[in-house]
Amino acid sequence: MLRLPVIKLTAGLQNGRISVARLHTTSSKLQQELVEVFIDDKPVQVPPGTTVLQAAAKVGVEIPRFCYHERLAVAGNCRMCLVEIEKQIKPVAACAMPVMKGWRVKTNSDLTRKAREGVMEFLLVNHPLDCPICDQGGECDLQDQSMAFGSDRSRFVDINYTGKRAVEDKDIGPLIKTIMTRCIHCTRCIRFASEVAGIDDLGTTGRGNDMQVGTYVEKMFLSELSGNIIDLCPVGALTSKPYAFVARPWETRRTDSIDVLDAVGSNIVISHRTNEVLRILPRVNEEINEEWLSDKARFSCDGLKRQRLITPMIKINGNLEAVEWEDALVATARAIQNIAPNKCAGIAGKLVDAEALVALKDLVNRLGGEILATEQSFPKEGAGIDLRSNYLLNNTIAAVEEADVVLLIGTNPRYEAPLVNTRLRKGYIHGEQTIGLIGPNVDLTYDYEHLGQSADIVTQLRNGTHPFSNTLKSAKKPLIILGVDQLMRKDGAKILSETQLLAQTLGENTKAPEEWKVLNILHTRASQVAALDVGYSSTIEEVKEQQPKVLFLLGADDANIKREDFPNTCIIYIGSHGDEGASIADVILPGAAYTEKVATYVNTEGRSQQTCAAITPPGMARPDWKIIRALSEICGVRLPYDNLAEVRSRLEEIAPHLVRYGAVESANYFAQALELSKQVPGSLSSDPLEVKQETLDQFFMTDAISRASQTMAKCVQAVIKQRESNL
Amino acid sequence: MAKYLGIDRICNFWRTIKASGGILNSLRLTFRVDELRDGTLVGVDKYGNKYYENNEYIFSRNRWVIYSEKVNLDYDGSQVPAEWYGWLHYKTDLIPTKDPSRPKHKWIADHKPNLSGTNEAYIPYTTTKPKIIPWKPPQ
Repeated sequence: MLRLPVIKLTAGLQNGRISVARLHTTSSKLQQELVEVFIDDKPVQVPPGTTVLQAAAKVGVEIPRFCYHERLAVAGNCRMCLVEIEKQIKPVAACAMPVMKGWRVKTNSDLTRKAREGVMEFLLVNHPLDCPICDQGGECDLQDQSMAFGSDRSRFVDINYTGKRAVEDKDIGPLIKTIMTRCIHCTRCIRFASEVAGIDDLGTTGRGNDMQVGTYVEKMFLSELSGNIIDLCPVGALTSKPYAFVARPWETRRTDSIDVLDAVGSNIVISHRTNEVLRILPRVNEEINEEWLSDKARFSCDGLKRQRLITPMIKINGNLEAVEWEDALVATARAIQNIAPNKCAGIAGKLVDAEALVALKDLVNRLGGEILATEQSFPKEGAGIDLRSNYLLNNTIAAVEEADVVLLIGTNPRYEAPLVNTRLRKGYIHGEQTIGLIGPNVDLTYDYEHLGQSADIVTQLRNGTHPFSNTLKSAKKPLIILGVDQLMRKDGAKILSETQLLAQTLGENTKAPEEWKVLNILHTRASQVAALDVGYSSTIEEVKEQQPKVLFLLGADDANIKREDFPNTCIIYIGSHGDEGASIADVILPGAAYTEKVATYVNTEGRSQQTCAAITPPGMARPDWKIIRALSEICGVRLPYDNLAEVRSRLEEIAPHLVRYGAVESANYFAQALELSKQVPGSLSSDPLEVKQETLDQFFMTDAISRASQTMAKCVQAVIKQRESNL
Repeated sequence: MAKYLGIDRICNFWRTIKASGGILNSLRLTFRVDELRDGTLVGVDKYGNKYYENNEYIFSRNRWVIYSEKVNLDYDGSQVPAEWYGWLHYKTDLIPTKDPSRPKHKWIADHKPNLSGTNEAYIPYTTTKPKIIPWKPPQ
C-alpha cells in the first residue's frame, strides 16, 4: 500500500493500475541481456531489474528480511536485508535495490553483519519481551533472526525504564487477535490487505516512534482472506484468535491435506495434537491456492468437534436412539431386504469423497437402483454430464490471471471461491484484466463492468448487440466463468448452451493458443466434480418423483430434502455431522470428516487430490466407504473391495483420473458438447440471475462443518454488527 | 511366687478367655481382630461398637474398640463416631456419656463412615471439556 500510489503516479495508468510490477512476464529478449553479479564471490546471471535479494536467493544465499514478501509489493522499510556492496559507501536494502552489472554483493561481511545487528537492536528496543506468552513463539521470524543475525549481547540495561513503546490493541474482528506492541511495522498486513484482499482498511498513522498500524477507525477487517495476515505477520502482533494460547508449534503434528469447504481444493496443513485438530494452515501450491487460504477453510475447524455423529442411531418409537453398529447395520439391511428394483436411491452431499461416492453407487446399483443424485443438480439436456468440458473450470485456476477479458456469469467468485477471486484480482492489478459481470451487483474487491442481471445478456453478447461484446470479441485471451448455481435454474441447460455458444464464438475470433479454453464452470461444492465424474446424474426432483423405499443420504444436508417429500421412505443418513439430513433420517450411520480419512476429492478444475487422515474419527464413526462396504455384506450384495487400495482400483476402473493425484485431467470435446447443447429446447427465462452468497455474512456458513463452527457463527455476527455500525 | 513361675500368665489367659465369652467366642474374636485383650467395657455407641479400657497395658494400648458384630470383618477406623474418637485418641479422658461439656445440638449430623470401596463411594466427575460434542437428535 505504501508503494502502490507511487507506482500509480509514475506509471500514470488508467484506473490507477500497475503494469510496472509485472511479476510473470519473462520475454525471451530479456533472457539474452542477463546481468552478471557476484553474491559472496559466486557469479550469477540474472535479468536486469532483479533485486539483490532475488539474485542472492538464486545462488541459495538467504538474506534476512521482515518486510519483503515475494507475493507482495516491495516496501523496503524494515532494513533487515541491508547488505554491503563493494565500492559503495553505505549498505543497501537488498529487497528494493535492482542489481547492476558486475556488482559484488557481500552478504556476510563485517559491515553487513554490523548493519543487521544494529537493525535488530533497534527492533528489539521497542519489542516487548513476552516471548514466553506469545502465540508466535517457535514460529516467529524475529526470534529466529535475532538468534541468527542479532548481536550476542544486549546494550539494553535499563530494565526498569518505563518508557518502552506500548501501543493500544486493535479490535479487528473475531478471527485476528492483535497485540500491537509487538508490531515491527513491516506493513506486510497492510500490503496484503490492499493488494491481495482488496480491502484498503489497514494503514499506518503517525511517524517514527509513534507509528501505528491499524484501521484508522475501529472496525472489523471485513475480508474473506483475513486469516492470511496472521501467516504474513513475522512477529506475534497478529495471531489467530481461536488458536490463542492453545499450543506451541513443536507440540503439534502436521498432516498435509486438502480443504473441502469449497470446490477450489486448497492445499492445507492440519496441525493436530492428541487426536484433536488445533488449526489449519495453508500449504503452498502455486497451481491452486498459492500460499493463501480462505477464512472458512482456516477457521471452521472447530466445527469438526461439534454436532458430531459418534454412534449409529436408529429411530425407535419416533426418537433417534444410539445403538451399536451391529444393530444399526442389521436394521438397515432389514429395510433393504427384498427391495423391488429401482426402489433405492442415493443423494450425495457437499463434502463427500470419491471413494464413498463410488461405493454408494455400486451398492445402489447392485440393489437395482439407478437414481443417484447430487444436491446441486446438473441439467440433463444437451451433453449433460457425459462430456466433462460441460462442468469443469477447463482453463485451470492458475490460468485465470492470464486472461485479458473475463466474463463472470451468475457467480460471485469472491465468496464462492475466494482463491479464484484472488487470481482475478491479480490479473486485474498486474495484468490489465477487464472483467464483466452478469448477475447481482456485488463487491468483488476490484472494478468490473456490471452488464446487468438478465440471462439474455449472454445472447446479446454473442450477437454483438451489447456494448461489452466488442471488448469481449477483441480479447486475446477471453475467459468465461459460469457460476454453477445458474444451472440449477429451470432454464439452466439453456444458459449453459448459450454460454457454450458464446465461448465458441469467442474461441474462433481469438488468437489464443490451442490449449486456451474459454468456457469455465465454477463449482462451489468439493464433492460435485467427482460425483459428476462417476455418474451422479439425477436431480433431487427425480428422487422425489420416484418415491424410493430406501434413500441413502450421503452427507446430504440440503434444505430441499424434506421428510414430507418421502412419507414412506426409510432414510439412511451417512455422514459426519448432525444437521438437516440427520434429523430426518431413520437410521444414522456416523461417518468421518475430511480430516479423519484418506480420501479423494476432485476440485473445480478437474484436479484430483487426496486428503490425509490427521486424526481418527470420533467415537464409533468410520470412514464412509467402509460403512457402505459393511452394509453391502449384510445386505447380501458384497462389494468387491476390502481396503483402500482396492477401492482406488475400482475408482480407476470407472475414471482413471480420480487416482492421478495432483494432476489436472483436462476435458475436451467442446465442439461435440456444443453440438449437443444446440438441441436444448426452451428459452431463457426472464428471471434475473441470482447468487446465493452476496455479502460476507453469507460466506461463512455454507455446509455442515462450518454451520457447526462457533467461530464462523461469531464471524457472521461480527459482520452483521459491522454493517449496522455504518463505518 | 506365682509371678516367677509364670502361673499368673496362665491365669491371665483364662481370665481373658472368660471375659471374651468362652473358647469359641475367643477364637472368633481372634479371627476378627487378631488379638485378645481383657478390659473394662466403658461404653457402647449407637452403632454397636464397644469401647474397652485396661490401664495395665501401656499408654496408647490401653483403650481400644471392638467393632460392631454387624460389620463382621469389614471394620474400619472411620466407623468410630466423632464423639468416641476423642476418648479413643486421648483427647479427653471423659467418655461421651460422662462429659457434661459436650455440645448437643439437633443439627449435628449422624456419623458417616468412609464409604470408599463401597457402592456409595464418592466418585468425582470430570471437569475437563469433552473433545467432541455429539449431536443430540431433536426429540
